[in-house]
Amino acid sequence: MTLIDLNPGETATINGISGKSYRQNRLVELGLLAGTEVRMVKQTPFNGPVEIKIRNSYLTIRWNDARQVDIVV
Amino acid sequence: MRTHFFDKKSIDSTNHPWVALLGNPNCGKTAIFNILSGLSQKVSNYPGITVEKKIGTVKFGKKSFNILDLPGTYSLSAESFDEQIVSDQVQNWAKGENPPAAIISVVDASNLSRNLYLTSQLLDLDIPVIVALNMIDRIDSQAQIDQNSLKTQLSVAAVVLLSAKLNQGLDDLKEAIVTVINSEEKTNHQSNWISLPVQNELKPFIDQQFVSSKFGVAHALRLVSRNINHNGNAAQVDSIRNSISNLGFNPQTLEATLRYRWIDEIVKSVQSRAKTSIRKISRSEQWDKILTHRWFGPIIFVTVLYFIFQSIFTWATIPMDWIQTGIDWVSAFVLKNMFPGMLRDVLVEGIIGGVGAIVIFLPQILILSLFLTIMEDTGYMARVAFMLDKSMTKMGLHGKSILPLMSGYACAIPGIMSTRTIDSWKERLITILILPLMSCSARLPVYTLLISAFIPPITLSGYLNLQGLTLVVMYFLGTATALILAKVFSKFIKEKTSSSFVLELPPYHVPIPRSVLRHVLIRGKLFLINAGKIIMAISIVLWFLASFPKVDQSITDVNPIHYSYAGKIGHAIEPVIRPLGFDWKIGIGLLTSFAAREVMVSTMATIYNVEATGDNIVNLREAMRSDVDVKTGMPVYTPLVALALMVFYVFAAQCMATFAIVRQETNSWKWPLFMIAYLTILAYLGALFVYQGGLLLGFS
Repeated sequence: MTLIDLNPGETATINGISGKSYRQNRLVELGLLAGTEVRMVKQTPFNGPVEIKIRNSYLTIRWNDARQVDIVV
Repeated sequence: MRTHFFDKKSIDSTNHPWVALLGNPNCGKTAIFNILSGLSQKVSNYPGITVEKKIGTVKFGKKSFNILDLPGTYSLSAESFDEQIVSDQVQNWAKGENPPAAIISVVDASNLSRNLYLTSQLLDLDIPVIVALNMIDRIDSQAQIDQNSLKTQLSVAAVVLLSAKLNQGLDDLKEAIVTVINSEEKTNHQSNWISLPVQNELKPFIDQQFVSSKFGVAHALRLVSRNINHNGNAAQVDSIRNSISNLGFNPQTLEATLRYRWIDEIVKSVQSRAKTSIRKISRSEQWDKILTHRWFGPIIFVTVLYFIFQSIFTWATIPMDWIQTGIDWVSAFVLKNMFPGMLRDVLVEGIIGGVGAIVIFLPQILILSLFLTIMEDTGYMARVAFMLDKSMTKMGLHGKSILPLMSGYACAIPGIMSTRTIDSWKERLITILILPLMSCSARLPVYTLLISAFIPPITLSGYLNLQGLTLVVMYFLGTATALILAKVFSKFIKEKTSSSFVLELPPYHVPIPRSVLRHVLIRGKLFLINAGKIIMAISIVLWFLASFPKVDQSITDVNPIHYSYAGKIGHAIEPVIRPLGFDWKIGIGLLTSFAAREVMVSTMATIYNVEATGDNIVNLREAMRSDVDVKTGMPVYTPLVALALMVFYVFAAQCMATFAIVRQETNSWKWPLFMIAYLTILAYLGALFVYQGGLLLGFS
C-alpha cells in the first residue's frame, strides 16, 4: 500500500520509500522515514497534490511522490 | 558561480563581527530579522516581495554586530535555487571563507523535530550555533522544552526561548550573540548523529580524505545522498554508495534517517510530557476545510484577488491625488521664485516633470506589496500554491509560480527573484520568461495616461465603464498571453531536473504588524531611491537632447524641437513605427522606455514641456489631446493609436533592469536575449494588428 491509498482522515505508519532514488532523500528529510505515523488530510481533484499530517506539521506533496511512500495500516 | 549574491565586500568581518540567520521556511526567521535590524537593513533594490540577501545592523548596549538573513531552507542538500544559495554559502564557510562569528539556527518550537533537522546539519561545521526557539507562544504547557538539556545534548553555544510575535526573548538572543562573539571558546561539535557503531562500520569504506577531516563522514554521507553531478569524484561516490548498500543501508536516505533517529531521541527527552498526535485536528486544519475546499477555496482566492486589484485602482487614487497636488505646488513654487533661465528650465521641465510622473504611483506599489506580504505572512499564499499546483502544472508552470506571477503585477524583478523557491529548473525558467507579460506597475502610468486622455468615460452598465474595462482588458491580455506562452515554452524547453512540489502549510497566524510594515516601507524607500535615480538621470539627458541644438526662431516657424537631437532620433525611427500609428514623439518615448517603462510618461512630459514655450508646466493629457500633425493637420493621437500603443506596452520588452536580473538568475545571455526577441516581435505584431485592423474596420 502507498500513501495515495489512504482516504482523508485515515492514518498509517510509513514503511519506507520506493521508486526514483533522488526523491527519496528529500522525502525522508521532511520527516517521512520508516516508523513515522502519517494521516491523510486532503486530496485534490485530478490527482493533484495531497496534504498529509506528519510530525505535528501539515505537508503537501505531489501525487506521484505520495505514490512512492509505502505504508502499513 | 553564484557568489555574486554574497559579495564578500558587503560583509566586512574584520571591522564588524557578523552572524548568520538560518532556519526552515515559516519558522519566523524573517520576523526576527526585521525586528532585530529595524530599518537599518539593506536589501536589493526592488519593490514587492523578495527572497534575496538582506543584511542589518543590530545594536546591543555598546556592542553592535551585523546580521545576515538567508533564505529559508529545510536542508543543506539543496532542491531549489534558493536552497542552493544557502547550501553554497554554508559550504564556503566550511572551507573557512569568511565564516560568521555564529550561526543563529531559528527553530519553530511547535515543530521541533522537523526544524532541528537543519540545526543538526549546521552542527557539522566548526562555527558556534545558537538555537533560537521561536514561537514559544504557540506551544502549550505540556510541550514545554527543557532548554538546558537541549543545549547540552546538541552541544550548542546557547538555546534561547523567544517569541517574535510577542516581542519576547529578543534581548536574550542579542545577549547570547554578543557573548558568543566575545568568547574565545572553541565549538564542541562532533557529528553525534552518526552513532559510533555506524561510524566505525562506515569508516573503512569512506575515502581517506573524508575520514581524516573532523566532519568527513558526515560530508561523505551528504555527498552520496544527493543525486547531483559529482564532477570529478563520481567513481569515488559510487564506491561509497556500494559499500553502504552492502552494509544493508540505503545510501540515499542514510543521512536523513540517522539524523532523525538522533533528533527523535533528543526531542523525546527534552519534551518528555508532550502529547503529539497526528490525529489531532488543528485550528488551521479547521479553517482549511473551507479555505482550501475543492470549490470554495478557488472561489475565495478569486475574491481576494478581485479585492486586491480593486483596492489598487480605487483606494490608491486618493493618495495619488495628494501627490499630484504636491508636485503641482512644487513646480509652481519653483516657477515663481526662480529667475527664468536654463537652470529653471531643467529643474521644472526635466526633473520635477520627470520624477513627479513616477512618484505618483508609489501608493499602488505600497498597497500591492502590503497585500502580498500579508498573504505570505498569514500562511495563505502556501495554500494558494497547494490549490493551484495541478492547474499550474497543466500550463507548464508550478504551484509556487503563483507568488512570483502576482508580484509581477508590482514589478517583474522581485517576481523573478522569488522564482528561486520553485524546485524545478524548467518550471522556474518558464515562470521567469513569461513574467514580463504580467502588467507591472510601471505600465500603469502609461495605461492611465492614455486611457484618461483618449478613452471616453462612457458608463456601460452599473459599475462598469469603458475606461475601467479597457484597463482590465490590458491586464487580461498580458496574463492570458503569458499562460498560453507558458504552455508553448514547456513543449520546447528541456527538463534539467525532475519537477517536484513539497510545501509545508504553516499554521495560520496574524502577521506581526511591525514586521509587515517595515517590509513594505523598505520596499517603498528602495523604489523611490532607485527609480528616482534612473528617471532623474534620463529626464535630464532627455531635456538636453530635446532642447539642443537651439535654432534661430526667426528663420523658421517650425517648433525647434524638430531640429533637436531628440527630434532627429525620433524622425529617424518614425518609418519603422508608422505602420503602428506612432509618430516621432512616441518613438522617442519608446526608446527611452528601454530604461524603464514608466519613463514613457516622463519623456512625453519633458518633450511637451520643452515644446511648449510658455512658462507653465503643461498638462500632459491636454497637450496630447490637442497635438496635431503639422503636415496633415489631423490629431496625432486617436483612440485607435492610444489602443495600439497600450497593446504595444502590454507586450514590449522595455526594462533593462529585468533583463539584467534574468541574465543573473539564468546565468546566461541566451534567455534574456530570447526574451527581448519574443517580446519585441509580439509587441510589434500586436500593435500592428490593432492599428491596421482598426483602420480596416473604419476606425480612425
